[in-house]
Amino acid sequence: MSDRIEYDVALVGASPSNLTLAYRMVELATGPLRIAVLEKAKEVGGHLLSGAVSNPRVLKKLFPDWDNSDFPLEGICKKSYLTIVGPTGWADVPQLVMPPHFDKRGYAILNISDMAAYIAGKIAEKAGEKEGVVVDFYPGFPARSILFDGDTVIGVKVDDTGDETADNLYAKVTVFGDKGFVSRDLVGKLNLRQNPQAWAVGVKEVWETKESHEGQVWHTAGYPLEKGHLGGGFIYGCKNNKLIVGMVMALDHENPNIRPPIALQNLKKNPVIQEMIKGGKLLKYGASVLPEGGYYSLPKKFAVSGAVLVGDALGTLDVKRFSGVDKAMESGYIAAEVITGALFKGDTSEAGLAGFQEKLMNSFVGKELYDSRYFKRTFQEHPELLNNVIPTLVNHVESGRGVITASVAYGLADPIGGLKLLGAKTMMDNPSEIGPTKYNEDRTHINKSYSSVPLEPAEDYDEDTIHTAADIVFYAHTHYGEENKHIDEFDSSVCGQCVEEYEGRDTPCVGDCTAEVHQILEKEGKRTHAMALENCVQCTTCEIVCPKTNLRVNAALHGYGPDFSGM
Amino acid sequence: MSDGLKMVVLLKQVPDTSSKAGVNPDGTVDRARAKKMLNPFDKYALQKALEVKRAVGGEVIAVTMGPPPAISVLSDALEYGADTGYLLTDRRLAASDTLSTAFALHKAIIYIGSDVDMVFTGLQTTDGDTAQTGPQIAERLDMPQITYCDRLEMKDGKALVRRVVEGGHQDLEIPLPALITVANSATPLEPKRFAAVYKVRELSRDKGAYDEKIKTVNLDDIDVDPAKTGLAGSPTVVGKTWKMGDIGGTCVMFQGGAPEHEVEQLVERLTTDERGIEELIQ
Repeated sequence: MSDRIEYDVALVGASPSNLTLAYRMVELATGPLRIAVLEKAKEVGGHLLSGAVSNPRVLKKLFPDWDNSDFPLEGICKKSYLTIVGPTGWADVPQLVMPPHFDKRGYAILNISDMAAYIAGKIAEKAGEKEGVVVDFYPGFPARSILFDGDTVIGVKVDDTGDETADNLYAKVTVFGDKGFVSRDLVGKLNLRQNPQAWAVGVKEVWETKESHEGQVWHTAGYPLEKGHLGGGFIYGCKNNKLIVGMVMALDHENPNIRPPIALQNLKKNPVIQEMIKGGKLLKYGASVLPEGGYYSLPKKFAVSGAVLVGDALGTLDVKRFSGVDKAMESGYIAAEVITGALFKGDTSEAGLAGFQEKLMNSFVGKELYDSRYFKRTFQEHPELLNNVIPTLVNHVESGRGVITASVAYGLADPIGGLKLLGAKTMMDNPSEIGPTKYNEDRTHINKSYSSVPLEPAEDYDEDTIHTAADIVFYAHTHYGEENKHIDEFDSSVCGQCVEEYEGRDTPCVGDCTAEVHQILEKEGKRTHAMALENCVQCTTCEIVCPKTNLRVNAALHGYGPDFSGM
Repeated sequence: MSDGLKMVVLLKQVPDTSSKAGVNPDGTVDRARAKKMLNPFDKYALQKALEVKRAVGGEVIAVTMGPPPAISVLSDALEYGADTGYLLTDRRLAASDTLSTAFALHKAIIYIGSDVDMVFTGLQTTDGDTAQTGPQIAERLDMPQITYCDRLEMKDGKALVRRVVEGGHQDLEIPLPALITVANSATPLEPKRFAAVYKVRELSRDKGAYDEKIKTVNLDDIDVDPAKTGLAGSPTVVGKTWKMGDIGGTCVMFQGGAPEHEVEQLVERLTTDERGIEELIQ
């Protein structure tokens, strides 16, 4: 027993939520404390990717001098636009009528990969100042599975030498701050999530541009998304002539082939973006998924005996406010206080940790998630928003009109539709109680026979700024070695059947892949599913959209995978 | 062989070739600012020693020479499975060439013990690229040496080795002690195991135990005359260094035909044109 590898707290994933938690626990520590941080990337931050324009409210609590220190800040938002985009059209929504949650002025432009590395450094510094406080980082060592004693979580399995003493990490409290790689097993086993999580996929490029756009933030709606598809683009101007261009696309759309990297290229062909990136240099590409279900996808319990869910594992992202990083960090901040108390009292049972849920729901996280609870449902109840309103606005903008003119034209042409829109706006912003929302798994929305009606991208663009899906993958700097079998295909005949059902087109795993991993190979007239695992950026989109629930993306081992530093 | 073999693996910390940090505008490297890594060639040497230990038992001792921060390659080696480490560090070793480096390291090995059975080194380093240090140490220790070894098996106290030679390989049987430089066609270094990394994390917090596992020695400890090391003991003179610059050249595309035809055109161009390949790379 004495050889057991034991810590007070095991953190699954060096995510913003878990790192905030570790920092706060070290801050609160008054006696010995041992924390282990498990991370699948080669270095802390190596697999982290986000937009991100973020309310710095939690950052401020950790580092009061965040905007005037060596914190890796990409910039502070000075100008914030909501823009309706067409293949060539571009019209900013006037500030006066822009919904207030789109105004990001004063927010921090972050790259959470470098931020995570920074926080990890600060944790080590702070732990070093306190006698008996230990925080061990294990980059390259993801948690592989959860160790249970009945329904109590007692740690995680980290290695598979076959010797339990060498493979298992035991902890009084295991905190899951992952994107589901491991936490889904806890959620599944204890049946914690009654409403499934609703996901979106984000793709992002970092550019070095000729001109600086520092402090300017655009969120775009419209092109290149198809009718009915929730999502949008984002363009963030950073320090040192860096520019971030990205897109977020919900995964609950009918289209089985949304092709995120290609959609991003098409957005980049818009002349306004072309003007920004022409003559520049692409530095990085990456992709990640976002849990967008919000309030109604939250699990019924945030903590169980021996374990706590935080950040994306819990699902604290608020899609209405584009607020993910701050809420994830706050969930870690609050969990740190609850876990510190539970360890002090020696009660890490479900009852001992239960205070977390109440505290979090009473914080800005719970309040804002509640306020945004019908955001996604608004688009379900008002399909005209994505099917009609935005496409119409895009058409107007494409023909050179401004947003106001376009909206007025829309209202005049369809006054009843205009009134319905007011209802939609109320539902989003000041909702009256209409009962819980039920989501169906994203995969169930996919329609095999969907016929795509994309707008043609602009033809006049600089070829050096646009990459094929196969080329863009190189900019994710993925590296894999031996034991590179991180995507399970449970039953190959099921994939074979799926490929047959999708005759003449790509299956969702192929059509939605962000990194050219999934492919359909044709051999002697027969089509089969194949994977180029060496390309994988670990985004898990394929698992989410697989119509047959036949794929599972596991955490890459030995620090393999993409290199998202600077993302 | 009940006690197993005493094996020394020589490791070197080199500038990280994947990082631009510390590269001066003229192409020279500022070693103080450069990011560091374990010489990639040395990973094959470490793996080979760990394989022998797994097969017949024994002790793997990692040794490095360098400034104090180079100690990190030793804790890294421990995380990979080495048992102990020695850091040879001394200001008087600065600017050592291969002659004086080999001299100092051979003395370090003598210091570690007269009962060392095997010394493993990488083929060469990515910074000096000479591949001279290993063989020089063998000469100084008066040990047989096997260079370019890619396979090694112990049998009846002897090593059966396979050397990579041009156009094939050479099988040899050698008595111990011996020095072996391991080729990069040998087994790659296996990933670290969690329990080993955990042990090193724990060790790093116990200063006494850490100093016991990873010993730091200087020239006086290993009985080296400073005149034979460092700049003083290094006859190598760097005459001149220059930046290679861009290779440049023009690109000739053979396209528009069937692949077979394009290849034929390329071969013809390379073989029959008087200037052949010269023209293509100018």
